[in-house]
Amino acid sequence: MNAFPHRPQPRSPRRRPHRPQALVAWLLLLLAAAVAMPAAAEKVKLDPSEWGHPAGAACASCHEKASPGIAEQWHQSAHKSAGVNCMDCHQAESADVDAIEHEGHIIATIVSPKDCGRCHEKEYLEQEGSVHAEAYAIIADRVPALAHNVTGPEMQAAGCDQCHGAQVKVRGDGTLDPATWPNSGIGRINPDGSKGSCSSCHGRHAFSKAQAREPAACVRCHSGPDSPDKEVFEASKHGMIYAAQRDAMNLHADTWVAGKDYTAAPTCVTCHMGAAGKVPATHDVGLRNAWSLNTPVSERQYLVVLDDGSKLELPADAKPPKRGAELTKADGSTAKVKVVATPERRRLVMSTVCLECHSKTMTEGFMQQFDDVVELYNRKFGEPAAAIMAGLYDAGLLTPLPFDEPLEFTYWELWHDEGARARHGASMMSPNHAWWEGMYLVGRNFYSRFLPQARAAAGDQVAELVDAHIDGAAGHAWLARGEEANPILGWMPPPPPAEPPAPAAATEASPTAAEEPAPADTPEADAGSAAVATDTTVAAAGADNADAAAEEGTP
Amino acid sequence: MIKLEPPAFITRHVLFALVAGGLGGVVFMFFLLEFDHYSSSNEFCTTCHSMTYADDVYQQSAHYNSASGVRASCGDCHVSEGIIMATYDHVIGTKDLIKQLFGKADYDDPVVNLLHLPDSAFAAREWFRKRDSATCKRCHELDAIQGTRANTAAIHQEDTDGKTCIDCHMNLVHRHVPSEQTFKRAAWNAMVEEEFDLAPGTAERLLAGEETPVQEARAAEQAPTTAGEGAARGTRFGSAD
Repeated sequence: MNAFPHRPQPRSPRRRPHRPQALVAWLLLLLAAAVAMPAAAEKVKLDPSEWGHPAGAACASCHEKASPGIAEQWHQSAHKSAGVNCMDCHQAESADVDAIEHEGHIIATIVSPKDCGRCHEKEYLEQEGSVHAEAYAIIADRVPALAHNVTGPEMQAAGCDQCHGAQVKVRGDGTLDPATWPNSGIGRINPDGSKGSCSSCHGRHAFSKAQAREPAACVRCHSGPDSPDKEVFEASKHGMIYAAQRDAMNLHADTWVAGKDYTAAPTCVTCHMGAAGKVPATHDVGLRNAWSLNTPVSERQYLVVLDDGSKLELPADAKPPKRGAELTKADGSTAKVKVVATPERRRLVMSTVCLECHSKTMTEGFMQQFDDVVELYNRKFGEPAAAIMAGLYDAGLLTPLPFDEPLEFTYWELWHDEGARARHGASMMSPNHAWWEGMYLVGRNFYSRFLPQARAAAGDQVAELVDAHIDGAAGHAWLARGEEANPILGWMPPPPPAEPPAPAAATEASPTAAEEPAPADTPEADAGSAAVATDTTVAAAGADNADAAAEEGTP
Repeated sequence: MIKLEPPAFITRHVLFALVAGGLGGVVFMFFLLEFDHYSSSNEFCTTCHSMTYADDVYQQSAHYNSASGVRASCGDCHVSEGIIMATYDHVIGTKDLIKQLFGKADYDDPVVNLLHLPDSAFAAREWFRKRDSATCKRCHELDAIQGTRANTAAIHQEDTDGKTCIDCHMNLVHRHVPSEQTFKRAAWNAMVEEEFDLAPGTAERLLAGEETPVQEARAAEQAPTTAGEGAARGTRFGSAD
């Protein structure tokens, strides 16, 4: 093995005789790694001779008294031992939008990723354009519809922006607008124009490697109803072993390569950004994600790296964009495609991390289970629900304004909360979140709230706007089997009156057999429509539909 | 007995002049004392409408409502101690009065006033700096600034070489104005325009004296109110059914 596995490997033509079948996979992986990590070897860019700003020498004396907490954190930090002082990070030019004069020096309160990037260039470039850095930009135009309308703009600063980041506003008097600052949300738009916040994960002013490697670094945002990754991790086998083996995690090590520097358990970092074997570390945290899991319908997605450093995620059902092609970004500007990573490549990188502990068979098996859950969600709930909603909007039966109708909350929770929970639970092996906290709630919502409310909204267009998306779908055919009893709810139909010549084996099937001569012979398509029509089914519980159901259900 | 004989040049007229001049001088000194005192009071300063904007913010500050109950008046901070320096400050200060009365800018207009505030702040800070923050020290004596918190005392003992109060303690009483080194006129103007709901560019024209102050210009304006129309559908929240 290479002594520096975190470095990009020179593409050597030498074969690996012991595993020739993996050659193609490895080449793909190396290509992806080389592509994603152009500067993996450089640890810190700025020359150490430029650290230790002369004006920064005097800061500590006062700050040890004025703000002893952060001063002590810095004293204990690797920054201090390397000779990096306050001014190295906080220095500013008078012309900077957020520059202030402090004790005779021009400084800025906010240290942006661009500032950190003066030394940590590799990390800066990796996080630039990542789903983390774009966390605010992605939702900026959507926030008002939820936070402002449903609650109030106050909630944006205290809620949304604390994770997604704020667009920090410097007021005309040089102060930072308290509606946007303090903020360490990961997609923060900084006064210098850069996106992101290193301190989102790297707590000031210690900037401890160990702290950032802990799952707790992610918990502030990746927890709660819509992305319960903390809860999912803790409830998984990975989390269970991590909790027991934390002392063996070697969290303070200089390099932290899974399988080399630690083997006890994985954390969030391990799989989503950490170095593992030949997989190099990355600060593009979404790089290894093949699926979008926080969308109404999940999609496998390309990662497109553009020539200006920004990135785009494009659904994999379209043709991959060609290298050099012009693409329009979310903000309307255009850039040329530099590199495209297919979802298969992204999955391969993620799976290669697994191989440090698991066999290929086990890894593939797990990924299959995960993919199956996502596809099930898409097929059975996500796609029909999205189509029903689109139909209701198109027909003018819902106002374009979000959240002014109960159905819109129902739909929002279906995919954004329960649906995301199910998919995240499956992605990280928490059975409880995949099922009880996830897909079970999706199913309950879909049948007991979403469909009745959608039917009520559809009125006399229910057949084409709602039922058309349910009837005949294999996943919903069970609704037609109304006579199929099961003891799960504690009730079973009474046994049929004893007939002396009845054969002993027929007891279970007998209730249906007694009422209807041949229910099992009903064709599938008929069963589907019958499900919708029968007034005893959950799906038809909508009051508006009761009459129609009774009419059609009449024998 | 020694009989005091006044020199010959002390004539009756000279004697009268001396006595009158002496008495006049004493009266003048009393007048100056009283005048400096009165003209340092909050009431005197705010007789100009333009000063009421500074007063509004000051009344929200700890220098107006302090924990100890001591209230620092305008003059306590902005007029030097001693009759000579106090008189000097008032004489120099007359230039502001002249600008108020005869200047092109209408400082009584809140927008114009705010647009000029940074210049006043920079001048005031320079004034404090030149005098080694002497007026601060009238109340904030060395014992007092050691504070109740050990670290505050230590900062004042160990980290203040070559510094005067105003270097660290600014923007305490009046509206926040950045330091001169980082002040950005365009940003300040934009802030004022946003605050008073003015079209972009208005501030610059006001500063150049091309535009009538906002108070007058605004009198005519009336914002029409649009009534919200509610075509609520049956299933919407808040609808009749």
